[in-house]
Amino acid sequence: MTENRIVRLEPTAPRSASAPAPAARVHDGQLTEYDYSNFYWGTGEDPFVILQPFREWYDQAHQWGYYQFGQPLQTAPRTTVDIVEAKGRERLDGLINFASYNYLGLSYRPEVIAAAQEALAVYGLGASGSPILSGTFDLHEQLSEELADFKGTERALLFPTGFAANLGAIAGLMRPGDYVIADQYAHASIVDGIVLSKATPRFFRHNDMNDLEKKLRRCDGKKLVVVEGVYSMDGDIADLPAIVELCQRYEARLLVDEAHSAFLFGEKGRGVVEHFGLEGQVDIQMGTFSKSLGGIGGYIAASRSLISYLRGFARSYVFSCAMPPAIAAGLRESLRLCRQEPELRARLWENVELLQGLLRGAGIDVGNSQSQVIPIFVRDDQRIFRLGEELLHAGVFLQPIRYPAVSKHQSRFRISVSAAHSKEELERGAEIISQVLGRHSS
Amino acid sequence: MNLTHYGFKTAMSAFFEMETELASRLLPKHLHPLEVKHGSAIFAVTAFDFTDSMVGTYEEIVLAVIVPPLVQPGAAFPKSAFYPFLVGTSTEASRLHAIERWHLPHHMADVGVRFQEEEDRLQVAVHEGKSPILDLEIGAHMWHQADDLYQSFMIDGDRQFKVDIHMRGHFSEHEEETGSLILHPHAMTRELDPDAIETIPFRELWMKTGKQTFEELETLETV
Repeated sequence: MTENRIVRLEPTAPRSASAPAPAARVHDGQLTEYDYSNFYWGTGEDPFVILQPFREWYDQAHQWGYYQFGQPLQTAPRTTVDIVEAKGRERLDGLINFASYNYLGLSYRPEVIAAAQEALAVYGLGASGSPILSGTFDLHEQLSEELADFKGTERALLFPTGFAANLGAIAGLMRPGDYVIADQYAHASIVDGIVLSKATPRFFRHNDMNDLEKKLRRCDGKKLVVVEGVYSMDGDIADLPAIVELCQRYEARLLVDEAHSAFLFGEKGRGVVEHFGLEGQVDIQMGTFSKSLGGIGGYIAASRSLISYLRGFARSYVFSCAMPPAIAAGLRESLRLCRQEPELRARLWENVELLQGLLRGAGIDVGNSQSQVIPIFVRDDQRIFRLGEELLHAGVFLQPIRYPAVSKHQSRFRISVSAAHSKEELERGAEIISQVLGRHSS
Repeated sequence: MNLTHYGFKTAMSAFFEMETELASRLLPKHLHPLEVKHGSAIFAVTAFDFTDSMVGTYEEIVLAVIVPPLVQPGAAFPKSAFYPFLVGTSTEASRLHAIERWHLPHHMADVGVRFQEEEDRLQVAVHEGKSPILDLEIGAHMWHQADDLYQSFMIDGDRQFKVDIHMRGHFSEHEEETGSLILHPHAMTRELDPDAIETIPFRELWMKTGKQTFEELETLETV
């Protein structure tokens, strides 16, 4: 197959004296305007050609603000944390933690740690095999059975990560010529699953049912609609009753990603599907173990026949090592606590109401959040790092969210509220955020 | 190196979200739209009021899709890049010049571009005779002196080109979403499904009393 491909630029000679001189390839004024999208591709035949220009930019960008991504915590993801700030290597202790999605505070519960420690002593560190070969342990089977029972589905399939669950389910089921119609704010794992499946992607405007219907009407063939229960960067909830109705009308299957809603929403904590009373009407429920249950991993909860099919066709399941047995043991305990302590969810929703009220009362733009995910919109890619630095030194650990995690003009901080936060921590945190944002208001 | 200069009194751009499906249809195969979010690419409308060029004074309207810039080690990093899929100008001389020198696709009739500035607002009305083509409005923000590098990609048959463009002048850029776009039925907007394009720009650029400098045209060799 002949394919157009860029191999060389002509001319490649150095600029002459009369050419506008790039004194510095990135100067301060420009630095703040660049992001990853400026370094998507480079000239020549060597795929590594982009690395040196990227490094040149990133070394400056890191000091300017990108250091705020991935700063190492020195403590468990509790409601306060200690970190070593990555710019000046200054240790900052006792920061109010609004960055970890440890929504029920289960990752460090003594019962969970004890269960994981016990399994660690028995089974060792890793699973040492794919789940379809030697990587499935009794703990995995117990966890998947207990999870299916909790979710009210026939079966559940465990994946090493939530990303792998979406990737495997979508790419395992959909084929070239099919359509996957996803909300525009869908997670990257959903998008990558669509790409991998080679199905035709269609994105509808966020939570816009008219646009979803328009897209459904135009798709003639097998259709899968994919939405999130709670949107991970905006904290709003999918209009699931309308989505289910549209899927039924246009004969589309529905996958709901409950990464940020399972174990939290609904009377029993089963998720947004339960919250809306739609159990039995959603074909595929995806979720993660890394948020509310405080571990790592993902799952697909669905019918016996679908799970059986994915066991053979979800390549991220077949060709990955199984989740470590000690994690499975810790997750079983987390799930038990989640079922037996509904007061955890009650406390979370009290905390959410308190913090949302404090922030909205202070005139802070939290968008349409209806959940424990609360965005603080800055909508200025240049200002958000300055704010992030000030918040850090004022006592709040909060992550800036920029492109490509959100739209180019929608930069924000994302608060994750936990049931474990105390009233004092929430009030103090809101006060600090209000003060720092107030100093920078235009 | 031969440089081509164009002096202008006013230049303005507005960036709108556009469905990626439509953007992809407008682009040649070797270019990919830059997405602001899944399924949303960027449609850019740019208008110039040129006062000093080798083909005299003229106005220009450029319809483009934003694409990732092509980075070259050792060279300056472009701020952004675009693929102009259709250009309209007010004179035949400017049209022939841009086609011959830069391989830019043109609407082959004179279009008028009327600029109306009031305090911190700028309105642009583009028309062909009595037929309106589009109406665009943007606002100003903080003004400063700017010197930015952009890239433009072009094609001509099977040949692919790129040119680096410097924009210098008194500059305002913001994302306050204060502007608007109205597309009228016309040959220049025929490919643009209004349902697939937002009418409020997410980014607005305004430059006054500036200079646009094109470096030499570069050929992207193909296999």
